Amino acid sequence: MIELRGVSKTVQSGDHPLTILHPLDYAIPSGQFVAVVGPSGSGKSTLLGLLAGLDAPTTGEIRIDGVDITQLTEDGLAKLRGEKIGFVFQFFHLVPSLTAFENVLIPMEISGRRDAVPRARQLLEEVGLTERAHHYPSQLSGGEQQRIAIARALANDPPIVLADEPTGNLDSTTGRHIMDLLLSVRRSRNSTLVLVTHDAELASLADTRLVLRDGRPVSPDDSLRTAGATSSAGAGR
Amino acid sequence: MSFVVRMALREIRASWQRLLFFFVCIAVGVASIVAIRSVIQSVREGLTREARAMTGADVVVRSDRPIGDNVRSAVEKERTGGRVSLVSEAIEIATMVRPTNATMTRMVELRAVQAAYPLYGTMTLREGQYSHALLQGHGTLVRPELLAQLNLRVGDDLLIGTQRFQIRGVIDKEPGRNLGAFSLGSRLFIDFADLPSTGLLSFGSRASYELLLQVPHPPLAPGRRDVTTLLARELSDTFVNDFVRARSYRQNEGRMSENLTRAENYLSLVGLVVLILGGIGVSSVTRVFVQQKVRSIAILKCVGSTTKQVLSVYLAQVLLLGMAGSALGVVIAGGVLMLLPLFVGDLAALLQVEYGLTMAAVIQGLAVGMLVSVLFSVVPLLEIRNVKPSLLLRQDIPSMPRFDWVKWSVALAVAASLVGVAAWQAGSLAVGLVLSGGFVAIAFVLHLAGIALVRAVQPLRHARSFALRQAVLRVARPGNQTRIILLAVGLGTFFILGVRALQGNLLRDFALQMGEDSPDMFLMDIQPAQRQGLTALVDGENGADPAPKLIPVLRARIVGVRGRDVNLESFEDVRGRGGLSREFTITYRSNLEANEKLIDGKWWGDGPATEIPEVSIEVGLRSRFQIQLGDEMRFDVLGRIVTARVTSFRQVDFRDFRAGGFMIVFRPGPFDTAPHTFIAAVRGAKEPAARARMQGLLVGSYPNVSVIDLREVLDTVASVVNNVTLAVTVVGGLVLLSGSLILIGAVSMTKFRRVYEAAILKTLGASSRLIATTLLVEYGVLGAIAGTVGALGAVALSWAVARYALDLPWEASPVLTVGGIVVTAIVVALIGVLASLDVLRHKPLATLRAE
Repeated sequence: MIELRGVSKTVQSGDHPLTILHPLDYAIPSGQFVAVVGPSGSGKSTLLGLLAGLDAPTTGEIRIDGVDITQLTEDGLAKLRGEKIGFVFQFFHLVPSLTAFENVLIPMEISGRRDAVPRARQLLEEVGLTERAHHYPSQLSGGEQQRIAIARALANDPPIVLADEPTGNLDSTTGRHIMDLLLSVRRSRNSTLVLVTHDAELASLADTRLVLRDGRPVSPDDSLRTAGATSSAGAGR
Repeated sequence: MSFVVRMALREIRASWQRLLFFFVCIAVGVASIVAIRSVIQSVREGLTREARAMTGADVVVRSDRPIGDNVRSAVEKERTGGRVSLVSEAIEIATMVRPTNATMTRMVELRAVQAAYPLYGTMTLREGQYSHALLQGHGTLVRPELLAQLNLRVGDDLLIGTQRFQIRGVIDKEPGRNLGAFSLGSRLFIDFADLPSTGLLSFGSRASYELLLQVPHPPLAPGRRDVTTLLARELSDTFVNDFVRARSYRQNEGRMSENLTRAENYLSLVGLVVLILGGIGVSSVTRVFVQQKVRSIAILKCVGSTTKQVLSVYLAQVLLLGMAGSALGVVIAGGVLMLLPLFVGDLAALLQVEYGLTMAAVIQGLAVGMLVSVLFSVVPLLEIRNVKPSLLLRQDIPSMPRFDWVKWSVALAVAASLVGVAAWQAGSLAVGLVLSGGFVAIAFVLHLAGIALVRAVQPLRHARSFALRQAVLRVARPGNQTRIILLAVGLGTFFILGVRALQGNLLRDFALQMGEDSPDMFLMDIQPAQRQGLTALVDGENGADPAPKLIPVLRARIVGVRGRDVNLESFEDVRGRGGLSREFTITYRSNLEANEKLIDGKWWGDGPATEIPEVSIEVGLRSRFQIQLGDEMRFDVLGRIVTARVTSFRQVDFRDFRAGGFMIVFRPGPFDTAPHTFIAAVRGAKEPAARARMQGLLVGSYPNVSVIDLREVLDTVASVVNNVTLAVTVVGGLVLLSGSLILIGAVSMTKFRRVYEAAILKTLGASSRLIATTLLVEYGVLGAIAGTVGALGAVALSWAVARYALDLPWEASPVLTVGGIVVTAIVVALIGVLASLDVLRHKPLATLRAE
């Protein structure tokens, strides 16, 4: 369960403060697939970064399984990400100096898993890249890189997967394959998936849609309200 | 294997080529430290192991005068008392020798020994084992160089003093010959019993008399003092007023070991300087490296690693590279030691010890290498803390804390540790502080000069040439490594040019002193009866030149001072004042010489002598020992005590040696009837053959007279100066080498930027040739600035050292200065372009697409 209470983000832009995300209350039950949509600059990626603890909100609190992550230190957040959150980026963000296999290995090595090597092999098989295991990111196509990134995100079996426009940098066919992969692994693991996307078709596959414009939710298509009232998406399910 | 180590190894695998220079820098520094320390440690071990053989006895009693009966009977009492088991006598004297059938002469250090010699150690001859029988009956053993110099062979005869000696062997290795001790000539042995017959022990000869004592060696009782040192101290204390010094081999061992340890520590500072330069390079590379790794760091943080873990990964990487570099340094040091004989000849034979890498040196080298790597990289690595994983989502401007306490505290701790490393390596906190302070000061000055010069060339950014405009802009661009290259290359140039300029000034000054009319030969130990004949002989030989001037000399010690500010009752008190107790060569005359200036008091002139003898003192003694006008000084002149009043102070220009340089001059009177010798400064012929003939004639007629040929001395001085220059040039060369490595490193670290720029320029129509020219000019400008900084520093250094330390007239060396700048510019330009060849090869499209 992810809960947001009055979460906002303001940054300094030149001399003026600029609010990227206005105070937002929101809840995502475990196992949900939430699509965050909206035009560029609407605060989607910022929201995702806040959920992953990559960035700290200006106000409000974010609870993951009851723990307020805004109170955690940088290292506490890192540990939380290692255990509970898998992140997939639009630009893949693989470590260029590591092979595909090693990129998948890292999160497990950090958390000290003993079965890291066999599990990394299994994950590579799952994303269909066993034969590319020892290639470097620069030797892989965009689609292949994103599949490695997905394998990496799933390495520690996180209950939450956050994906920031994972198909945004790929051609449509490859994008479709990636999406299929992401959805199938979500189904098989019953994990929470928060997907930021521009793609209306993709968004339509989600259990819930959160539409943002200029940092505010604009289309309460489910049980969504602005600051002041708490809601929970898909509470009735 | 933990995540940290695995990750560090993977990172090295990916970036070792870019970091290659990092560990080569460290390797060069470590190699110098390990090589220098190993050689000196080997020498020290060898010497201390054989300290007794080196000393040649357990205790040596030594005096500049014939050893008195009181000393002999005290030693004899020790022998009957059982503390001494064997006594042997020896005399050392510097004298001239010549073949019987030629006019050539050579100065030698003659040693006359008895049958028991050597008490310890072995003397080896080229022909095999030494035995005293070889010396008996006017036999002599000589060093091979003397044979070569005089064109003699074993079996030939040699004239020593008035006697003919047969050369019966060639000395290969002699115990007790001090390593690196200053010597007037090559060693020669004769039998102690034959020495009187040579006539060399005439009055006033500069001989050193020795009693070599052997002490029976019972095992030392725990906590008890070594009996040899005890005996030596007792003898020294008892006979302090007889000018006798006794020294045990253990004291010698201690002194040698101390001197060598100091030499080892100071010399290895050379390595440390190179290492610190490497460290500065490491620091700048680490900074760029972290900048380039920002995204990877963010990814690692994003997938769950803590800041501490990421810091550990990169610190482990630095440690591993530092370790590899240090290990490479040890390998290089091993190779250098193996190849050394090719360059300097058989060092092992010269030093009389086997040398090789020593464990202690290797461990020190590895430790210092790793320490420097870590210390210099830790501050730039701290930037890792500020990398936020959110930059993967959005390139925001990092919010820097206003004052980074952690960073500054760490920087302070690093600086303190570096001072600690320098102090550890120098074996002295003071030297460590001076070295660090000096380094910071020089770096700061070079930095300021660099900034000034970079500003000075800025008007060229409006130049017509595209390449020059670009070059000037790039030199001034932030983050382009200009500072570090200026520091490293500038420092190397500074060292090399500085010492070359000094060498030039020194040699020029010596040559000047050997001017047309100045004497170039000194005759010593002339007996009063020989005066006339010798003057006539010299006059006959050098005709037109002025007649030799004979100066009476006596040897004296100050044994007491009763004065206003200082009161020294006995020689023991005088001894407490260090330099005052040494033996002085004194003279008497009624006139002031051309190289003397009256500073204070009144010169006596030609008038009749006063009742109390008068003495004039060199002004240096006044300032050092607080002696004042009117003070009474007691002198021991050949056992006779003379009390004299100080009536004047003179300043003596010791560089003008035509009339000699005397610290102490008496008014004529007290020594008129005392036995004394004369010295003479003579101008010899210019042609070597004529000089040799004159020396041969002199020594032939007056065998006790020693001839010191200043032209030979000048050659020796020149070769010493040249050797020192070579040594410092090697240091400068090492610094320049690390400078070049830093340059290559800096180029390869920032290459990505150049590749990108070149790609854009190519797209806009620039040819490869234009880009190459731009690079060439850019590095040429950088090299010229670095060269100018170094050359100006060198001019300042050589001027200051010449003016204040050596008191020499200073002359600029424009050819050296300008040549140095040009060569530096060319070298830097070439290295820069060669290291950037990739930039020219890259295809623009691929580069732009990758960005």
